[in-house]
Amino acid sequence: MTYQDTYAAGRRTGTSLPYGGRSAAPVPPPPPPALPRRGPGGRRALAAVFWLGLVAAVLPWWLDTLAGSLAGTTALLTAAGRITGLVAGYLLLVQVAMMSRLGVLERWVGGERLSRLHRDLGATLLVAVLAHLSLIVVAYAGLEEKSILGEVGSLLSDYEDMVAAFVAAGIMVLVGLTGIRAIRTVLPYELWYHLHLTSYAALLLGFGHQFSNGAQLFHPGPVRTGWIGAYLLVLAAPLWGRVVAPLHFNLRHRLRVADVVAESTDTISIYLTGRRLNQIDMLGGQYFRWRFLNAGGWWQSHPFSLSAAANGRWLRLTVKVVGGHTADLRDLRTGTLVWAEGPSGTFTAAHRTRERALLIAGGSGIAPLRAMLEELPPGAALIYRARTPADVLLHPELDWLAQVRRTSVWYVIGSRDDPGPRQVMSPGGLRRLVPDVARRDVYLCGPAGLVDEAVRVLRRTGVPRRQIHLATFEL
Amino acid sequence: MRRAVLAITGLAAGTTALVVLKGSPGAGQAAQDIPADQASVAPGGSGPAPGVTPTPGPAGSASAPSRSTRPSSTPGTKKSTATARPTTAAPRTTTTAPKPSTRTVTGPTVDYEYGSLQVRITLNGSRIVDATALGLPLGGQSGLRSDDVQARYSGTSGEVVAKQSANLDTVSGATATSGAYQRSLQAAIDQA
Repeated sequence: MTYQDTYAAGRRTGTSLPYGGRSAAPVPPPPPPALPRRGPGGRRALAAVFWLGLVAAVLPWWLDTLAGSLAGTTALLTAAGRITGLVAGYLLLVQVAMMSRLGVLERWVGGERLSRLHRDLGATLLVAVLAHLSLIVVAYAGLEEKSILGEVGSLLSDYEDMVAAFVAAGIMVLVGLTGIRAIRTVLPYELWYHLHLTSYAALLLGFGHQFSNGAQLFHPGPVRTGWIGAYLLVLAAPLWGRVVAPLHFNLRHRLRVADVVAESTDTISIYLTGRRLNQIDMLGGQYFRWRFLNAGGWWQSHPFSLSAAANGRWLRLTVKVVGGHTADLRDLRTGTLVWAEGPSGTFTAAHRTRERALLIAGGSGIAPLRAMLEELPPGAALIYRARTPADVLLHPELDWLAQVRRTSVWYVIGSRDDPGPRQVMSPGGLRRLVPDVARRDVYLCGPAGLVDEAVRVLRRTGVPRRQIHLATFEL
Repeated sequence: MRRAVLAITGLAAGTTALVVLKGSPGAGQAAQDIPADQASVAPGGSGPAPGVTPTPGPAGSASAPSRSTRPSSTPGTKKSTATARPTTAAPRTTTTAPKPSTRTVTGPTVDYEYGSLQVRITLNGSRIVDATALGLPLGGQSGLRSDDVQARYSGTSGEVVAKQSANLDTVSGATATSGAYQRSLQAAIDQA
């Protein structure tokens, strides 16, 4: 589940399979009609729920506090401490909920966007927790005329559940600090991941002090009941999203490895079969988190995009071999059971805002775009940059799609800094290839450098931000 | 990252705005008036009911409508019904005593470390028959202290009624609350 790997999953490279060269290779059915759109309505509804929840979290304080009762610095500090405490408590619940893998979140908001929101909200949560802690300590120290340290000692010894609360704060600070990009990239992924798992402990450790000391939650009543209810819901969400729903999916579909095919020296495609594959509600461009149930791999889960749209007979993921885990995938045996969680993502044809689309792939980023091409309306355009001609993946499939779905495909060969790619990746170059680029949805998948550069160029070319779709797990 | 900065700024601004809105002194006057009004209403509203523990505020006002509905057959003002009831239920102290038998006096609001309170005492003649503190902070540790002090001092069998003075034993672990209670109580006794 490394973000690097995820990203690498999209960055699948491989030489093109000669068309028809494999029996299991896609013999393409006539193109289905383009998918109906799934607008941002669901996402907006969830955003509305978030803001309503935030208001609901702070409202009890507002109603409990008599206007004008905040006289003096300590009263003001206490009030601010309570507000930040309520906000922090709420944000922690949201943070856990966002990572719960609930289907609604994964398909309405999308894993990539959730990750970014989780990071940004995490920074806010960290500040809120620290503000809550310091405001309350300073305010209480002022009230009791103690030193700051003395007050901390008094909080720890005299107040219920405060030791656990301080531990929870410590965990959150640690998790927050290791989330900072510079620090995270230095840490081993496993350490980062397990540290992040302790957030659940923070959730539980911080629980008690809210009720034993929280002015708004101390007394039984609707506020206290509602807050406890929110906790129960948020604890149920990951249970559902990470356990119950995947269990249901996998018992129902029982995916197995059908074949592993080398696409190039460093890229493989894994074909999967299973039951009732035509009933999986998935879209080209979405990804699953895969767990290959063999001796070496069952404990790791990695997200890879599908590299072919749903066809009811098989699933395919195409993986670039970049690390230990992906190297092991080459040796997957036919018949190996696969545990999948998903589908996830809003990087799909259904989430377009315009009728036409421009897809820009860098290197291995072609995989989800290839799957998506089957579901876009005719008239799409694809710009595919690869380092060398040998790095162009799925060449025959793309050529075939170019025909049957009337897609314009340009292969741009060379490094990002070579004159050719540079010339294409400029406002003038883009307009020359795709004159109506500003009126298209643009889907980007590839190395972070290429994506960043492309977004800059697209914005300069006049493509509105909401028409730019990214498939990147880079935080 | 830009969104995180925005969110953090929003958090700071929102918290400040909420605190400032609640803390504005204009609204403060109105809030202070509410207990004062209750206090002035209470003596008139609480009927002559010696020996009965008059619980403050809500109970006093709640008993008024119940009284007015019960003897609805007798035409008359609320005042006459109010006097009618105790004649049947209680000894006739009301008619004989030159002073109204019980009255309430509310002490001033005293600010202390965890909030503010005011003590209301109920007197029968010059004897304190009940006491309670109003506006005590609820919830949290302050709330626990409030509860301790209320339990020790207030009520018809509390320390105030027992000692008939503001010279009370400090409740351990709630020094500030005890002190504030005693100050407001002393002022209330002085007023009475």
